[in-house]
Amino acid sequence: MEEAVRHDALALERRLAAAGDVELVAACAEGIPEAFRELLSRYRRSAVGLAYQMLGNMEDAEDVAQEAFVRVFVAIPRFRGQAAFSTWLYRIVTNLCLGDRRRRRRTVDLEAVREPRAADNPAGCVTDGLLAGQILAEMAVELRVILLLREQEGLSYRDIAEALDLPLGTVRSRLSKARMTFRRLWNEALQSGEEQQ
Amino acid sequence: MTCILFERQLSSYLDGELPAARAARLEAHLRRCPHCRAELEAMGGIADHIRAASREMQVSQDFDQRVLRAMGYWQVTGRPIAQPRMLKPLLVVAAILLAITGAVRYYLSQPYRPPMPAPRGAALVAPASPGGTVVPERERR
Ligand SMILES: [Zn+2]
Repeated sequence: MEEAVRHDALALERRLAAAGDVELVAACAEGIPEAFRELLSRYRRSAVGLAYQMLGNMEDAEDVAQEAFVRVFVAIPRFRGQAAFSTWLYRIVTNLCLGDRRRRRRTVDLEAVREPRAADNPAGCVTDGLLAGQILAEMAVELRVILLLREQEGLSYRDIAEALDLPLGTVRSRLSKARMTFRRLWNEALQSGEEQQ
Repeated sequence: MTCILFERQLSSYLDGELPAARAARLEAHLRRCPHCRAELEAMGGIADHIRAASREMQVSQDFDQRVLRAMGYWQVTGRPIAQPRMLKPLLVVAAILLAITGAVRYYLSQPYRPPMPAPRGAALVAPASPGGTVVPERERR
């Protein structure tokens, strides 16, 4: 009997792991706890990562991502699948981050992110990831978020428009501006690095 | 000079979002402009840099648990937990306070009983207390 129950649970877990987001959302609407867990394991890193790059510190990022998941999960029975689950989640993460930033204009954390990190690195050089994080922190938040949704999460222009509630044309021009800004700051950072050596 | 105009189209071109006619003009420019070619390639590398920025990031082990717990709270109360990190200690304090008040109220509500109950037979012989039940020490004051 117990063996059979365990076997069923395992089979369910395996089925959910292979399921698409749409099926998982339907399973969540039926209140299957394993479906919530599966969605969490799929999008935990993305949601926290997006919030982290927007807020600049891990504790706030996890709080925001947690609240976003709760909002999405609680609303799932009313979700009609107008957008992809991921787009919906990113939209809420983004809105919470923007609200969070407005509430308490972060000062300390951003300064910590902006400081050159060469000294932390035993090899004496700033890694790509470190430099990219610094540059993102310097960018205006509306450019940063669009760059993250496209380059980190791989959203289509249409999904970005949906997530940020922007017209498609604005997504196109803003993403272009964001990439050009990133490139300019990247080149400047490399040049100042060379001058220091 | 015209490079600036073409550079603005590189992003959409990279994503296949540039209309065909404009894409053709841009491609013609790319064939003779090494600067814009290099820029296009560098732009294509941004994704790698940005993904590298989050690679070291570690999500807390109890993240999922916190979400599921907060979800249960929301469904019961209809509102999110303001400070999820504070919930557990608050619950512990509330439980201890509840236990203490409960114990005190129970103790006060009990009539006084001798520490060792007398055997059944002995009760018949034992002298009855003057007022029937004995009032507890503290209530006599
Ligand atoms: Zn050119």
